[in-house]
Amino acid sequence: MESFLAALLNGLEIGLLLFVIAVGLNIIFGVLGVINFAHGGLYMLGAYLTYTLVSRGGLPFWPALLLAPLAVAILAIVLERLVLRHVYGRHVTDSLLLTFALLLIIDDAVRMIWGSGIQVVTPPPGLRGATSALGFSYPVYSFFVMGVAIAVMAALWLFFTRTRAGRVIRAAAIDRDMAQTIGINVPLVITGVFALGAWMAALAGVVAAPMRAINPGMGDRIIIDSFIVVVIGGLGSFPGTLAGALVLGMIYAFGGRFLPELNLVLPYIGMALVLLLRPQGLMGRRTG
Amino acid sequence: MAKFPVRSLATAAVVALATTVGMLAPQAMAQQQIRVGGIYIMSGTAAAYGQFAKQGLELAAEEINKSGGILGRQVTIAMEDSQGKVDVAIQAARKLVFQGRADVLIGLDSSGVANGLVPTVPELRKPLIITHAATPDVTGKLCNAYTFRISVNVNQNMMAAAKVAQETGKKRWTTIGPDYAFGHQSWEYFQEYLKRLEPDVELMNQVAFPRFGAEDFTPFINSIMQAKPEGILISLWGGDLVNFIRQARNLGFFDQGYEILFTVGAATEVLAAMGEEMPEGVWVGTRYWFGSHDNEINRNFVKAYMERYKNPPSYNAEGAYAALYLYKQAVEKAGTTDGEAVAKALAGMTLEAPNGRITIRAGDHQALVGPTWGRVAQYSPEYGIRMLDPVRNFSGEEVTPSVEETGCKL
Repeated sequence: MESFLAALLNGLEIGLLLFVIAVGLNIIFGVLGVINFAHGGLYMLGAYLTYTLVSRGGLPFWPALLLAPLAVAILAIVLERLVLRHVYGRHVTDSLLLTFALLLIIDDAVRMIWGSGIQVVTPPPGLRGATSALGFSYPVYSFFVMGVAIAVMAALWLFFTRTRAGRVIRAAAIDRDMAQTIGINVPLVITGVFALGAWMAALAGVVAAPMRAINPGMGDRIIIDSFIVVVIGGLGSFPGTLAGALVLGMIYAFGGRFLPELNLVLPYIGMALVLLLRPQGLMGRRTG
Repeated sequence: MAKFPVRSLATAAVVALATTVGMLAPQAMAQQQIRVGGIYIMSGTAAAYGQFAKQGLELAAEEINKSGGILGRQVTIAMEDSQGKVDVAIQAARKLVFQGRADVLIGLDSSGVANGLVPTVPELRKPLIITHAATPDVTGKLCNAYTFRISVNVNQNMMAAAKVAQETGKKRWTTIGPDYAFGHQSWEYFQEYLKRLEPDVELMNQVAFPRFGAEDFTPFINSIMQAKPEGILISLWGGDLVNFIRQARNLGFFDQGYEILFTVGAATEVLAAMGEEMPEGVWVGTRYWFGSHDNEINRNFVKAYMERYKNPPSYNAEGAYAALYLYKQAVEKAGTTDGEAVAKALAGMTLEAPNGRITIRAGDHQALVGPTWGRVAQYSPEYGIRMLDPVRNFSGEEVTPSVEETGCKL
């Protein structure tokens, strides 16, 4: 029972963090029509900036939680305006190649700035160590990760359903031309959405920094997991992304514990099953 | 999903571009220089390993050039990124030899890459000196006339680990390792050797092999803790090892009274990343420990390396550094850079290296060299890492299986 509960919590934690990253990827695809390979690089930048601010700069963790995602969002605005803008409306492979190139550039830039070694960030005081409140030992910091992810999820949901800006974005996602016709400033919406996605990727990077090793290449791994999440959940679906992220999180947590010899293939089996039985993803809409 | 066509497309484009640039390199001085081709992981998660090797090679080349070169010729280094992939490494080796006209290849971090590349080396007719990849096969069933290894392999390290394990007196052993050849082979050899030394040990069925690059090790840590072992062999390395240690610390893994053996835990990049957070009292192994060889070559090497790069040399730096000196000695013995003659000279050669006197065994081309194991002890502000105390250097003779056992036929 304890080991079941521990695995459940672990799956929730992995899944919720993946959700924060993958939902940005999904929103960007929905509005821009771009599959953003560089998303993993933005996540990595969030982690590295946290390292610079906290481990090098001596700042507490909390200001880094605000500053690092903001800095990455600003960088994203520049990237969108100067680079990404040129491939809208072209074939999807163009944007794939472009964002893949961006990922490689970010990887190399990170290596040039921070070196190729492994860096760590210490969790803030109060979130260190483990708690036995549930009858088994579990890291305190993991509860913080889940809390942040749930807060982001709730805020996003409110934003998309309750605010004018959120509805404008949804309109632009459904029909860009119509949105333009009725007076929505679509280019501005696009920039905003890209910045929002980048902000979330970087936020996940900041939150991950105190519990994971920071090194070049950390963005490549997370982008593959994020793609799996989007494929399982369905492109363009917000609840689908959550479902996909939780499914993958549980695959990792329960698979690692109870079927360790299958831990390499399980995520791909899950993805293949979804593709075979529900090609549009668990909650994706069938198109075309 | 796992393999995007774009990745291979982009790689192809990059390779094509790099090849073109390589061909434009000046050829006029080619006859004068001795060209060393380094093949290491220079990008991605494990890029630190390639970086260390590059520094070791550069330091050795600089020293050699300052003291007159090899046979009066200057040494130049060309590095290629293997990306940890077999096909990329094979391409890199061919490019270095056929276009860059390298006289020798030095390199290889990944066992998978080594197993794939080694069978193609004889057709290049240049010696390859492996400085890191530890798979027993390249000096075992895949051995060939042109392939040599100066670094400790899995058998040697696991023989030493089994001796350390035996001395702890613990009887119930399990493992946590990366889910590929290195993790599985480490456990396989450890079991075999420990059983030989201590027939009544219990080698548990409950083992954990998380995928290489897993971000979250919690499920594996939990399941191993629940199995209540007494001793644990851990062969995770690099970023995985840092992730693992931090997550395991949080779960109280290091407070259970286990004897823990990290097979490549004394890698300086891991110790530097962990700093004071590295748990005290665990056993860590390494192919080379900068603080445990009291000889002049090592003292000079560590001093020069610290001055130049501001951190202590890792085992990969030492391996690359020593490999270039080994090559120098072989060329001087052969009197030529002809690949076949140098390969013949390398077989059976003895070198005074930073980690002591090592001999390249003629029968399988594996260096008779042992690892260093030690317990993690106090933090050193000078080096920015926790040091080892006690430290034990194993000699090549006491940990190397016989040539017959390796399956190599030369």
